[in-house]
Amino acid sequence: MYDLFITVVLISLGIFIVVTGLIVIALWRGKKEKAIPEQDFGSSKSEIFWMTGPILILIWIFVISAKLILTMNAVPKVHPADANAEIELTVIGHQWWWEIQYGGTSIISANEIHIPVGKKVRVKVDSADVIHSFWVPQLARKMDAIPGHPNYIWLEANKEGVYQGRCAEYCGTQHTWMKFKVYVKSVADYEKWKSNAEASFTRTSQSLGKSSDSDKNKTSGKDDPNLEKGKQIFLNEGCVNCHAIDGKTTPNIGPNLSRISQRKILGAGVLSYSTENLGKWLKDPQKFKPGCKMPDFKFTDEQVDQLVTFLESLK
Amino acid sequence: MTDPLLKPDSHETKPDWGLMSWICSVDHKRIGIMYMLLAVFFLLVGGFEALLIRVQLATPMNDFVSPQMYNQLFTLHGTTMIFLVGMPVFTGFSNFIVPLMIGAKDVAFPRLNAMSFWMLPFGGALLYFSFFTGSAPDAGWFSYAPLSTRPFSSLPGVDYWIIGLAVMGIGSISGAINIVATVMCCRAPGMSMQRVPLFVWIMFMQAILIVITIPPLNSAIAMLLIDRWLGAAFFEPARGGSALLWQHFFWMFGHPEVYVFALPSFAIVSEVIPVFSRKPIYGYAFVAGSSTVIVLLSYTVWAHHMFAVGLGMGPNIFFAAATLLIALPTGVKIFNWTATLWGGSIRFTTAMMFAIAFLVQFVIGGLTGIMFAAVPVDWQLTDTYFVVAHFHYVLVGGIVFSLFAATYYWFPKITGRMLDERLGKLQFWLWVIGFNGTFGIQHFLGLMGMPRRVYQFADNPGWAVCNAISSAGAVLMAVGTLVLIWNIWRSLRNGKTSGVNPWQAFTLEWATSSPPPLENFDRIPEIRSRRPVWDLDHPELADWKTEKTPEDKGSRPSPAKTAAWAFVISEAIFFILLLVSYVVFNSGKTAEGPTANTVLDVNRTGFFTLVLLSSSLTFWIAERYLRRTNMRAFQLWLSFTILLGCIFIGGQVWEYYGLISSGVTINRNLFASTFFTVTGFHGLHVTGGIVALSIMLLMARSGYLTSKRSVVYNAVGIYWHFVDLVWIAVFSIIYLGYLQ
Amino acid sequence: MILMPELWNGSSPIWFAVGLVIIAYLAIFRRPKPAQFFALTLGLGFMTLAYVSPIGYLADGYVFSAHMVQHLLMLLIVPLCLVLSLPKDQLKSWFHSTGRLSTLKIISLIGWTGGVGAMWFWHVPSLCSISTESPLLGIVRDASFLLAGIAFWWPIYGPLKRTRLEPPVGIIYLFSACLGCTLLGIYITFTTTTVCPVFANPADSFGVMSRLSAAGLTPAVDQNLGGLLMWVPPCLLYVSAIISLLGRWYTNAEHDHSVSGVAGAT
Repeated sequence: MYDLFITVVLISLGIFIVVTGLIVIALWRGKKEKAIPEQDFGSSKSEIFWMTGPILILIWIFVISAKLILTMNAVPKVHPADANAEIELTVIGHQWWWEIQYGGTSIISANEIHIPVGKKVRVKVDSADVIHSFWVPQLARKMDAIPGHPNYIWLEANKEGVYQGRCAEYCGTQHTWMKFKVYVKSVADYEKWKSNAEASFTRTSQSLGKSSDSDKNKTSGKDDPNLEKGKQIFLNEGCVNCHAIDGKTTPNIGPNLSRISQRKILGAGVLSYSTENLGKWLKDPQKFKPGCKMPDFKFTDEQVDQLVTFLESLK
Repeated sequence: MTDPLLKPDSHETKPDWGLMSWICSVDHKRIGIMYMLLAVFFLLVGGFEALLIRVQLATPMNDFVSPQMYNQLFTLHGTTMIFLVGMPVFTGFSNFIVPLMIGAKDVAFPRLNAMSFWMLPFGGALLYFSFFTGSAPDAGWFSYAPLSTRPFSSLPGVDYWIIGLAVMGIGSISGAINIVATVMCCRAPGMSMQRVPLFVWIMFMQAILIVITIPPLNSAIAMLLIDRWLGAAFFEPARGGSALLWQHFFWMFGHPEVYVFALPSFAIVSEVIPVFSRKPIYGYAFVAGSSTVIVLLSYTVWAHHMFAVGLGMGPNIFFAAATLLIALPTGVKIFNWTATLWGGSIRFTTAMMFAIAFLVQFVIGGLTGIMFAAVPVDWQLTDTYFVVAHFHYVLVGGIVFSLFAATYYWFPKITGRMLDERLGKLQFWLWVIGFNGTFGIQHFLGLMGMPRRVYQFADNPGWAVCNAISSAGAVLMAVGTLVLIWNIWRSLRNGKTSGVNPWQAFTLEWATSSPPPLENFDRIPEIRSRRPVWDLDHPELADWKTEKTPEDKGSRPSPAKTAAWAFVISEAIFFILLLVSYVVFNSGKTAEGPTANTVLDVNRTGFFTLVLLSSSLTFWIAERYLRRTNMRAFQLWLSFTILLGCIFIGGQVWEYYGLISSGVTINRNLFASTFFTVTGFHGLHVTGGIVALSIMLLMARSGYLTSKRSVVYNAVGIYWHFVDLVWIAVFSIIYLGYLQ
Repeated sequence: MILMPELWNGSSPIWFAVGLVIIAYLAIFRRPKPAQFFALTLGLGFMTLAYVSPIGYLADGYVFSAHMVQHLLMLLIVPLCLVLSLPKDQLKSWFHSTGRLSTLKIISLIGWTGGVGAMWFWHVPSLCSISTESPLLGIVRDASFLLAGIAFWWPIYGPLKRTRLEPPVGIIYLFSACLGCTLLGIYITFTTTTVCPVFANPADSFGVMSRLSAAGLTPAVDQNLGGLLMWVPPCLLYVSAIISLLGRWYTNAEHDHSVSGVAGAT
């Protein structure tokens, strides 16, 4: 890709220099003459002669880019599932955050992708509402997330690190803050992360299962009253209508909040994660991300503290 | 000038300059000026929006406007600049200059011309009225579905956008048809089609392109409107619709639209460069022919806007090839302009300087365009500021610069006064520096990964500086524009008078007074070459002595028929696209709910089909009687035709009644939506035809329509046969299930 | 793979037809100009290739895109060459009597409908399958392609000036034909239905198909490719023809003018 870009830039630069050079020389020569110049109406031969160069250059560009389209193998096979894929990921664009489902596990997260270094990851790019575009500039091509028309791309990283990703297709009010991060880890770290996450998902769904029983509720909340109150707010004040906190995929109007304390960003990139920022966000999300789907619930400071305590307990 | 008859003071009556005289005017020059003034007004509006955008982006994490406001700003900036600045200003120049260049008194249909113009402020007002409803459109100028459908844009902004565009589209198509008919039918004696100035030829091509390129937009917005108002689901994937169909239709319009802008600037530069090089254009046939080829090819490249949607390798490679291919005719032009400069004796007037800047900047825009044709590059750079830089180099660095060239070049002809050259050069340098400052730097922002259409950006290394430079450049352009307005104001009041031909130019508009009188020419000079005024000024070096051009055979087609054909072609494309959507949604998979097989009565509609087709026959019989001046039989057969049309409509009403009462309504499923859309629009056209035929009947009864004045009737006939032909396609695809 | 001898059909009856055409051509026109004879051999060469080479074999119910290539050769390339091979003077002397404007209109109407219609007609799913399976119908189809192609090119490159369209009209003629092909091409490329069901499950006698599909040419890709072939090459050819018409328009008339200019001078 990079080589192709450099080649094309150099070709363009060459053409540009030739054309401007000719124009400048023509202007320079024309400056001196005052009389009526020779009335030249042109000749077909010189037109055809001069066009052969551009034609050859265009054919050249076409051949190298077509070759790259074919060899880059930019799109994995869909049916049957591509045998080269070592990990399957589903990425779903929402207005204005990304839902990430890890194939073969119960892990669901939002706005962060964890992958092991050097493995071929097949990403299914889908959308829940409007058209988005999945783009991690350093790792992969752009691929639109189109509702009803899932696309597949490869995501493969050769170096560990954190990579920026974002939505590249205008998708409404908060298109700007629809970012995500890709964490490329060593295989061992990745496996550790995966088992931790899976365990946490089982734990959360179990504890929520208990919560449906009101008697046990009281006893389990003894250790921290804030935690229990926060849980009640979460379940009763409307949060639960949009956010899932267990391994379920719905509701997914807002991001899945399991393990939110492990994340590095809030609001798909608008804030960095910290306990303090989470509180600020809960106090008034519209202040940081105007137009986002989460309304201002007008929580009191106390309620915010309780909610934060509850959310941070979801490890 | 040597000709005594061409003195500017040959008109003694003072023209009426009152407001009503402008509003009621059907003079092509006044309408042209109104187009330009409208464009200037909206240029200021759209430019102001652009300035607000650049203010917002001047510093990282700026809170100057809200995201909602920002999205409305870039949506309106794009829509305004394209539909309310670009389209009108070129139509304005074309309106003013084309009839003068071909030695005509006016355009072919002066009243239609006035109507086309007035559609535009009306559409613009509708678009901007949305501000007062509290929600301007904010889905981007491209209004990608499903973002623009009701579930995601519930406020009426998008509705105003649709209606405004539809109104302006009607105006543009009728204006373009007018230019087509004018060029084909109103040329002065001696001016064969191969002798028209390049400006005329290229504007003729642009008019044809408008006629064939607006219909895809119309069918797309018609479907979007039906989605939004009647609950259909063309673009709602959740209910079986397609999110991609909108993009296909929109870019089928959107890409040729780029050439709707690029062609006029080619046209302008092809006049300005030769005049100020004191040479004829190098390779006339190649410049003219390449414009034609561009029109033909512009229809084959739309999907290069969609390389990132996952079309598959085949289409990607094909559209890459087509995109590279269309660079060739443009390259031919660049070569010809350069060759025209070569060996010329160059006068560095402001107009010429803008034309030269056009040349260089357009080359940059074209070359970055070629980079996008290398698809893997596009996969990274699309939707970044590199794209913004690319198309602003084409649209501003190319097209707006050519517009300034045109302004300085033709202002003396339009007003009779020269623009001040010193102020002109000041404006030129302000714009060159401002423009390249604003958009040149955006190439690098794009390469650094800055995405488009974001209202805030985090302070990544380098971004703040680049954006600040970009915003500063925008201010220079704004100042330059004020200089131009000041220049125009000053020159109008006490500028130097221009005389007939201040630039020693070559084409016919410079053979009449400045400004030209009401019917343009007192006497048209003899036309024996492509540069009649040059021939007059330099009899010893006259073109026709050295460069032979085809003689005028003298025949001109009838304007009414020409217009009818152009209209029919435009409508045909509209219907083809509706039928495409029918085929897309009804082939392959079996949808739930009613389908063509289960609810349509083929035999019954077959009968009504025969009725409609036989009306074409009766129309033809009537036409024969008209030619033989048998008016009684003519009226009888014409009434019979109307009756058959009414029976067909009656049949359709019967069918609709049956369907709707059995619960098959337009929002039921995609079959019902597509069926009602296609047949409904056809029914509207039949109804329109019946109205036209009834008017013909009334005219015949009161003696306005006779065998000698039957050309309107022939034109209506073209339309009527066309409507029948469309029905054959509709019947075979929907009722007989061809292609499924 | 082109080298696989099984795929070459050397004993095709097409040789017989080709021989017949050459003999008839030489018998009628006696002394053709070299350029015209070259056009004839080129046309017949393409025709032979369309049946003898692997294209002919694969087109016969195996690969849809090869089938498309064969159609394009028979409908566009071969007739164009044949039309160009006809000597102008001789035909002029034969047809000098009939000359009304309406004949030109009718010829071009037939040519356009034939040229565009043939492609559409033979790609109705049922007809496409039947004509591929039945040899007799296949011959009818290919003959109709050839005739339609000749009719199509006649008003553009026909040997008689009188039956040629004026260049601007010719441009519309070709451009609308290009639109017709484009629509069909788009339909075949993007549709989910199988246009020609025979090609969906071909019987594989030489093991070619398994090799092809291993190389990525699955029936879906094949149809995709077929659609693009239907779309791109014809349009390119039409656009080239349009360019040549434009050239004719600007130069031929100049020639007329210089003649009249000379006449005026003397």
